[in-house]
Amino acid sequence: MMKRILSSSYLGLLLVMLYAPILVIIVFSFTEAKVLGNWTGFSLKLYTSLFQGGKVHSLSSALWNTLIIGLSAAFVSTILGTIAAIGIFNLQPGPQKAFRMINAIPILNPDIITAISLFLLFVSLGISQGHATVILAHITFCTPYVVLSVLPRLHRMNVNLYEAALDLGATPFLALRRILLPELKPGMINGFILAFTLSIDDFVVTLFTIGNEGLETISTYIYADARKGGLTPELRPLSAIIFITVLILLIIINQRAAKKPNLKRI
Amino acid sequence: MKNVQRQFISFIGRRRNWSIPYMLFLSFFVLVPLVLIVLYAFTDHNGKFSFTNFSKFWMQPEAINILIYSVGVAMITTLLCLLLGYPAAYLLSKMDTRRARLLVILFILPMWINFLIRTLATVALFDFLSLPLGEGALIFGMVYNFLPFMMYPIYNILQKTDPNLIEAAQDLGANPRQVFFRTILPLSVPGISSGIMMVFMPVISTFAIAELLTINNIKLFGTTLQENIYNGMWNYGAALSLVMLLLVGLTSLLNSDGNTKAAEEGGLI
Amino acid sequence: MRAITKQKYLRAVGMSMLLMAVLTLFSSCKQSDSSRKKILKIYNWADYIDEDLLTEFPHWYKEQTGEDVEIVYQVFDMAEVMYTKIALGKEDFDLVCPTQYIIERMLKYDMLLPIDRDFGKTGNYLGNISPFLLERMDAFSVPDKKALDYMIPYMWGISGILYNTKLITAEEVQSWACFWDPKNKGKILMKDHYWDAYNMAAIWGFYPDIASGKRSRYDVSNDHTDGDIAVVEEQLKKLKPNLAGWEADFGKEMMTKGEIWMNYAWSGDAVWAIEEAAAVNVSLDYVVPREGSNIWFDGWVIPKNARNVKAASYFLNYLCQSDITLRNMDVSGYTSALGTPEIRDAQMDTALTETVNLSYFFGPGNDSLLINPIQYPDSSVVERCVLLHDFLDKNDRVLEMWSRARGDNLDRRMIFIIAGIVLLIAAWPVYGQIKKYQSKRRRLGKKS
Repeated sequence: MMKRILSSSYLGLLLVMLYAPILVIIVFSFTEAKVLGNWTGFSLKLYTSLFQGGKVHSLSSALWNTLIIGLSAAFVSTILGTIAAIGIFNLQPGPQKAFRMINAIPILNPDIITAISLFLLFVSLGISQGHATVILAHITFCTPYVVLSVLPRLHRMNVNLYEAALDLGATPFLALRRILLPELKPGMINGFILAFTLSIDDFVVTLFTIGNEGLETISTYIYADARKGGLTPELRPLSAIIFITVLILLIIINQRAAKKPNLKRI
Repeated sequence: MKNVQRQFISFIGRRRNWSIPYMLFLSFFVLVPLVLIVLYAFTDHNGKFSFTNFSKFWMQPEAINILIYSVGVAMITTLLCLLLGYPAAYLLSKMDTRRARLLVILFILPMWINFLIRTLATVALFDFLSLPLGEGALIFGMVYNFLPFMMYPIYNILQKTDPNLIEAAQDLGANPRQVFFRTILPLSVPGISSGIMMVFMPVISTFAIAELLTINNIKLFGTTLQENIYNGMWNYGAALSLVMLLLVGLTSLLNSDGNTKAAEEGGLI
Repeated sequence: MRAITKQKYLRAVGMSMLLMAVLTLFSSCKQSDSSRKKILKIYNWADYIDEDLLTEFPHWYKEQTGEDVEIVYQVFDMAEVMYTKIALGKEDFDLVCPTQYIIERMLKYDMLLPIDRDFGKTGNYLGNISPFLLERMDAFSVPDKKALDYMIPYMWGISGILYNTKLITAEEVQSWACFWDPKNKGKILMKDHYWDAYNMAAIWGFYPDIASGKRSRYDVSNDHTDGDIAVVEEQLKKLKPNLAGWEADFGKEMMTKGEIWMNYAWSGDAVWAIEEAAAVNVSLDYVVPREGSNIWFDGWVIPKNARNVKAASYFLNYLCQSDITLRNMDVSGYTSALGTPEIRDAQMDTALTETVNLSYFFGPGNDSLLINPIQYPDSSVVERCVLLHDFLDKNDRVLEMWSRARGDNLDRRMIFIIAGIVLLIAAWPVYGQIKKYQSKRRRLGKKS
C-alpha cells in the first residue's frame, strides 16, 4: 500500500515538474498582455483573434503545414525504420555495429549541421526546395529514433517464435504479419509518436530546407515573429488548444480501449 | 522472368537484406552531406585544402573551454535524467499496459508544445517563483526537455523483460535488492545506453535553452557552432561539427560495446 | 500459388508508391522560365510590411504595365540566416531586405543586381527617400558600383538605452557609464549582437579621443584596426560581469516586467516596448547617451539570382509612395526612410510638448516639429550617431574577439574536474576490454 502511494506520488511529482511551464502558458492564454508573464486581466481576446491575421504570413497555414509534414514524415519514418531495424537485427555483428554507428549520426549531430548539410545537398543537386525537401529532411532525422525504438524490442523478442511459424508452414510474409509485427507494434507506435513529436518541434532543419516559396511551419513562424515584436501572444491559446485537444483524445482512446479486454503480456 | 521473380522473393525473404533500403537512404541523406561537411572543414576561405580551421580550434582556449563545459553540463543532465527517469520508467513498466501507455504519452505530451514557447514559459515560471536564472535554471531546462528521451527507451525495454526471469531469480532466493541489481538492471542496459545516447550529445548541441535560461551568459558548444555558421564562418563551423562527430564516434564506440554484450548475454543472471 | 500472387501484388503496390514518390519529388523541381517571370519572390523580416499590400500590388502593377504578377512572400528571423541562405544556396529571391552592413557585404562580393529605374509612364517615387539617408548610403559604394543604384532604404533607426524611469534616473542614462557602473550590476541587458556591442564599446573606450577631437566617432567605429579591436575587447570584458545577460529578442519583454533597469535597444523596438509597458503600468523611456551610438537602416536589394528584376523595381517604386509607406510604418512600428511632407504631417502629434529638429531629414524649415523623438530623433542626437560598416575582412578577428570576450566564464578547476571525470568514464570500458583480453588469454592458456 505504502509502495503504491510512494510510486504514484513520485510519478505525480515528475508530471507536475513537466507540466508546470505548460500550466503557465495555459493560464496566461487568458489575458491580453503581449508579454508572457504579465497579467492584464481576464480576457478571451487572444482566442478570438487566433485564426485571423495576414493571409500570407498566417498561423493557420503554418499549423496545417506542420501537421502534414509531421504526419507524412512520421509515417514514412516508421515504416522505413521498422524494416531497417529488422534488417539490422539480422546482420552479422561487424556490419551491425557499423550500421548502428551511422544510424546514430543524425541523432547525435547538432541539428544545425544536419540542416546545413542537407541544404548544401539539395542546393548542389538543384532540387527546388519545398514540401518534399522538408519531409525528406524530417525523415532523415526521425528514422534513427524509430530504429532505436524498435531494435530493443527485437532483442527481447523470442526468435524461436518466428522460426516455429516458418516450420509450421507459414510463408515469411505471413510469419511477419502474425508474429513479428504484433511483437514490434508497441515499438513502432512509440517510434511513430516520437518521430511526429520531433518533426513538429523542429526548427533549424526546417528553416534550411523550406526553400523560398513562403512555406512555413509553426516553428519557423514563431521564431520569425519573436524577432520583431516578441512572441506572438496568439500562440499561447494555440498551444493551450493543441494541448487540451490531444489530452481529450487520449482520454477518449483510453476509455474505448478499456471496453476491449486487454491481454496482459504472457 | 519467373527465375528473376523467385530470386527477388528469396532476396526479400532474407531479413538481413531488409536493411538495404535504409542503407541507401542513409548513404544519400547522411553520408553524402557528411562528406560535404568534411570538404568545408578542410578548406579555408579561398577554397584551398588546409588545416587552419582545426588549428584555430586547438589554439583557442575559449573554444575548448566551452566544449569541456558543455560536456560537463551534458554529463550532469544525463545523470539526472537517468536517476529521475529510470525509477519512473520502472514504475510505468509495472503498471497494466493501458494505464502505462496513457502515462507514457502524458510524459511525451509537453514536447508537442513548441520548444521556444516551452522554454519561455520555463523562464516565466522561474520569474513567478522568484528563482534566479543561471546554471541551475539551465540544468532544470535541460532535464525538463530531455527526460522523456531517457524514459522512452528504458520503459520500452523494461516492458519487454520476461517476468519469468524475475520470478526465477526470486525463486532462487534473491532478495528484492539483488533481484533488481543483478537481474533487472543488467537486462535493461540496452535501453539505458539508448537513453544516454539520445540525451548526452543533443544537450551539447542545443543552444536555445542556454540562451534563454541563462540570458546568454553561459554558452554551450552548440551556440558557438551556430554563431559561426550564421556569421559566415562556414568552414570553421564545419570543423567544429567534425570535432563533435569525433566525440560522437567515441561515445558510440563505448556504447555499442555494452550493447551487443548485454544482448548476447541476454537472460543470464 | 496464392503466395506468389500476393508477392506480386505487394511488389506492384511498392513499385507504384515508389513511382508516386519520385514524381512528387520531381514535380517540385524548378518552374518554367515563362511562369517564373510572372512571380515576384520577396524575402523580408516578419511583421515588417502591411500584408494587404501584397495582394494590392498585382493590381497596381497590371494597371501600370499591363502585365500579371503574383507575389510569393517569405519571412526570416535573422539577417545572418538570410545571408547564409542566399550566399550558400543561391536562392532566386527577387527582393530581400537586409540591414545596411549586410547590404554592404553583398555589394562588395558582387551579389546584387542594379535596380531598374525605367518605370515607363509610372512616376518615379524613389526620390521620396530622405537625402539624409541617400547621402550616407553613398559611403557604401565600391569602385565600379554606386550604392544608390543597388539599394533603397526601407526603415531606419538608432540604437540607445531603453530604461525604466522609476528604477534609474534619466540623468544617469545620459552616459554609457551607467552600463559599466557597478552600482547597476545585474540590472542591465545588452544586445547579443556584435556590431552594436563593438560600436558601443569603441565609442565608450575611445571617448577621451573623441571628445578632444583626436578621432571621430566614425573612425573609431569603422576603422577596425587591431588596436581598436583590442580596446573593444578590454571594454567588453569589463562590461560582462556587470550585465544580467545578453539578449537577442526578449529584452523588451523583460523590461516590461520591470526586473531589468536598462536594455540596449533599437529605436523601433523601443516604441513598441514603451507602449506595451505602459499597458502594465511600467514606465519606460529611451535615450541615446551623449557619447554617441549608431544609426542603422534596413534596405531593399535585388540579389544576383533574381529572375524578375522589373517587377522587383516596380515594387520598390510602389513602396516609396507616401500613403503606402504610412501603412507599413503603422504595421511595423518602425520609422520609414521617406522624407515627404505627407509623412511628416501624418506622424506629427500635437499632444507632445517638446519640439524636435528634423531639418536634416525632412528638409529646411522643419526645425521645430511636434513629433515622437524616438521615432524621429532630434538633429543633436543624430549628430552623435554613425552609420556602421560591415567588418568585411576583419570579420574573423572580430568574431574571435567576441567569443573571447563572451566565452570564458569558467575557472580552471572546473575544467580539470570535468576533464578528469570524462577520462575516468572513458577509461572504464577500456579497462573492461583489457580484463576480457586477459581472461581470454588465461582461458586459452589453461586449455593448452
